[in-house]
Amino acid sequence: MITTIVKKECSLYFRNLNNMFLPLIFFFLIISIFPLVLGPEKILFDKIIPGVIWITSILTTLLTSNNFFKDDYNNGIIETYMTSESSVELILFLKIILCWIFTCFPIVIFIPLVSLLFDIPFQISLVILLTLIIGTPVLISIGIFGSALTLGLAKNNTLLPVIILPFYIPVLIFSASAIEAVSVGLPYGMQIYILLAFLFLVLPIMPYLLKYTLGISINN
Amino acid sequence: MNSIEISVNSASCYKNNNIVFNNVNFKVKDYDVGLITGPNGCGKTTLIKALCGIQNLESGEILFNNVNIKDSKSIFFENLVYVGHKNSLNNDLTIIENLEYLSALDNSVHKTDNNVIEKAMNFFDIYKYRDYMVSDLSEGNKKKASLSRLLISQKKIWVLDEPLSNLDEGTIKNFINLILSHQKKGGITIASTHNDFSGNIKNIRHLKMVGNK
Repeated sequence: MITTIVKKECSLYFRNLNNMFLPLIFFFLIISIFPLVLGPEKILFDKIIPGVIWITSILTTLLTSNNFFKDDYNNGIIETYMTSESSVELILFLKIILCWIFTCFPIVIFIPLVSLLFDIPFQISLVILLTLIIGTPVLISIGIFGSALTLGLAKNNTLLPVIILPFYIPVLIFSASAIEAVSVGLPYGMQIYILLAFLFLVLPIMPYLLKYTLGISINN
Repeated sequence: MNSIEISVNSASCYKNNNIVFNNVNFKVKDYDVGLITGPNGCGKTTLIKALCGIQNLESGEILFNNVNIKDSKSIFFENLVYVGHKNSLNNDLTIIENLEYLSALDNSVHKTDNNVIEKAMNFFDIYKYRDYMVSDLSEGNKKKASLSRLLISQKKIWVLDEPLSNLDEGTIKNFINLILSHQKKGGITIASTHNDFSGNIKNIRHLKMVGNK
């Protein structure tokens, strides 16, 4: 069953390549706008670029999670999930993981290139990479939860960021703090461990939360 | 297989403080075909959804072998195929991929028999479209593809919402034969419909719903 689900999700992503590449292109476009607006001052960029990368990642996860359940909802597939004896939680868990692999992982891969582009020191770019690998699954999960919450509404496009952005703050605080710590030469282990704690808290409970929320969404 | 009885006891449902249906009583058991008819907006789809446990009731209860379906979801879903008004097909997959996926979610499918999907598609005469994207199919063929799930699954309770919509006459005849053969095996069919196809079916349990106006 797991292989069939994974195969189906993968072929959906490969058939709609824009689902996969749009977030990446969006990420690069936003990142490259900053030097155009703020001017090419090296001292300024050394200070703000880690934050810029993080804000851009947030915008990208918002973009991808916005319509996450829309097709399944319109086609009635969610109703089929809810009336099936298979584990809905497992399906949702796999969907979250695959969504991260296909939309956020490409961004993580390209972080070294971005570091080269903005001349970020190796140590700092390593921590940016680490916080993104741990942090983006949490952001994607929360974003997907938001899209499940707003599913029943006719016009949900603007409501989603308002609901979920506050929940992004803890991840942001500790990622920024880890990057800040490494740039002044302090240890950053504590922040990474807390981010890991967020990840291992959110990932296991999210499928159950999603199932409950989707149940409410199809109820009306 | 064990015998099965589903009963709806004085069920009422509200949506946004508007009454959808009130005090509905209905009972089906093995070898029964339950037909739910009524004018548009009388709550047929809502009742069908409630029967599948995905719509909450305001009052009343739905019992599966005398246990509320909310408390027996896992065993109830092991016996239930729900084909809703929406087709439950993904537009960016081919018919065969969709059916493979849906049958992977269904534990009653004979996993060793690779031909069940093919047979089901042949029954509804959509095998020639097997590699078409669902978005390229006509509405009738989409409906046929979603109804193929009934042939793939070995489950006992079929709950269908408007199964005849968009189907041509030959297919409707075929489909009624399918319901008859399911009935012969002891299965239960519950369908909401506008075309009364009860003509030559025995053991019909007819629920006529009226609007609440």
